[in-house]
Amino acid sequence: MMMGSGKRKWLLLGGLTICLLLVPMLVTDIYILSILNMMIIYSILCLGLNLILGFTGLLSLGHAAFYGIGAYTTAILMTRYNFGFGSAFFASAVLALLVGIIIAIPTRKVRGDYFCLITLAFGEIFRLVATAWIEFTRGAMGIVRIPMPKIFGIPIATETDFYYLGLGILIFTYLTIKAITDTRYGRAFIAIREDELAADTMGINTAIYKIMAFSIGCLFAGMAGSFLAVYQTVVTPSNFRLEESCLMIIMVIVGGMGRNLLAPLAGVVVMTVATEVFRSVADYRMLIIGLIMILVLLLRPQGIFGSSSFKS
Amino acid sequence: MLGEVILVGVMVGAVYALVTVGYSMVYGILKLMNFAHGDVYIFGTLVCLTLLTKYNLHPVLAILIAAIVGGGLASLVELLVYRRLRAEQHRLISMITALGAAYVIQNITELNWGNQVMFFPSIVKSKFINFWGLQISVTHIITLFVAVLCIAVLILFMRYSRYGKAIDCVSQDMDAASLMGIPINRIVSSVYFMGGLLGVIGGVLYSSSYNAVSLGMGFRGTLVAFTAAVIGGIGSLGGALLGGMILGLSENLIGVYISSSYRDPLMYSLLIIMLLVKPTGILGSSDQAKV
Repeated sequence: MMMGSGKRKWLLLGGLTICLLLVPMLVTDIYILSILNMMIIYSILCLGLNLILGFTGLLSLGHAAFYGIGAYTTAILMTRYNFGFGSAFFASAVLALLVGIIIAIPTRKVRGDYFCLITLAFGEIFRLVATAWIEFTRGAMGIVRIPMPKIFGIPIATETDFYYLGLGILIFTYLTIKAITDTRYGRAFIAIREDELAADTMGINTAIYKIMAFSIGCLFAGMAGSFLAVYQTVVTPSNFRLEESCLMIIMVIVGGMGRNLLAPLAGVVVMTVATEVFRSVADYRMLIIGLIMILVLLLRPQGIFGSSSFKS
Repeated sequence: MLGEVILVGVMVGAVYALVTVGYSMVYGILKLMNFAHGDVYIFGTLVCLTLLTKYNLHPVLAILIAAIVGGGLASLVELLVYRRLRAEQHRLISMITALGAAYVIQNITELNWGNQVMFFPSIVKSKFINFWGLQISVTHIITLFVAVLCIAVLILFMRYSRYGKAIDCVSQDMDAASLMGIPINRIVSSVYFMGGLLGVIGGVLYSSSYNAVSLGMGFRGTLVAFTAAVIGGIGSLGGALLGGMILGLSENLIGVYISSSYRDPLMYSLLIIMLLVKPTGILGSSDQAKV
């Protein structure tokens, strides 16, 4: 029985991957491809955030800052120091991971809502410093003309090229997080989410696991940021506002947090499509997002596609 | 120069204390991070602006109406959204819902008033008086006076009225208070109402002394309230006052003597350091996690 459902799941995933690979052959519309590319970026971000929020129960309101760290690292290395995309991408991921560890170590014993405030403050500090430190980040003007990336000498230029590059990063993210969470690590994260004190009593080193979940989530945010930098060719502080962090949280929650990794991805699709559909009423965007947030949490806190929810 | 900076700092601090008190009281009772707090006060402040400029109401009347609108909005949010989430749920759920509520209020405010910085008329004629060689603006003195008066009334209310005692009981132990016959829902509603009311008064005082108001001040106000509450000791009335004062003073000193663009990053750094080193704040009592 277990084997059967497991096999079916991999078949489903394989089929899904093949469909995703074939998409650019059927879709040639640049607008739709650009939406798909943004969906890929948010999917990478939300898979990372799901590890932090969905598995471990840490509400990070600073995820956009790690996304920004990745984007700025790639932008600065590629425009000023002539780095190639590959090495800049690697550096972005590592730097986001390191900053994640630096944030996670002192906060490992902080209570849940204080953790939330600390990440919120960190996110705001990042954005404000990126705006104010004009010599280094060019302030609100942002870093422009980020060069076209090359992978093994192949230039990545069109929307389709970026789609495949992004999809590659997304599949890597999915498989890595799947591999981590299918082991005892994943069970430890969930145990911490459900009851940190009980998990501690059971012999789980909660501090280490929290640091691990948080910094790995940040690592993938760094990757997403790096991809964003080369994809947009421009990076400005307004890309990384608190609103972005909130949007990611909503995507994860609307889809459903926790074990089923496809649920947060479904949340990404739902929220992106909703944003595009409501583009004509852009003035009401935050109202709609806020209402979706409230209604989902009041009526279906486990998310549309999720099964597990937070316990009290 | 230093004298003026400190005086303005004390004035700003008193206003911050007003904004912080409401947020801190809510936290004391429900342990809920009310993300909508700042958006409520900016909504009320803009209502006051409209009353002043469009309907030419008397400032005192305009402030009163706006404060009641703000208080009403705060308790409405509690009634519609937060009440359903009380007690049973994981804390993260109520926090994220509060964030959603903040979004909704922010958007409604933006639809009505836009998000640009607007001129806010001075409530009193701006005059400067010379006092021991210091150039002091009358507006600042009156702002400080009104803020201190509101806080004094609040302290007396909390200490000597039956309602204040009931609020204290509910924040100590909600279940026990309920068993003693204290109407929990009414108390919680009124705490939100008072928080919104004081927040709007603070917002109006702040805006009229700087002659500017904008939507962005809402979320910043929420963060100011968080920071001040944490510094002083979250949930305690005296802590909110102390925290507001420290924040107002240090903010002005940093803004004048270091750099105004690093003012907010430094404020948030202070918040992080405080949360890491002494999360219970200067005046807060330690509160251990219950099993």
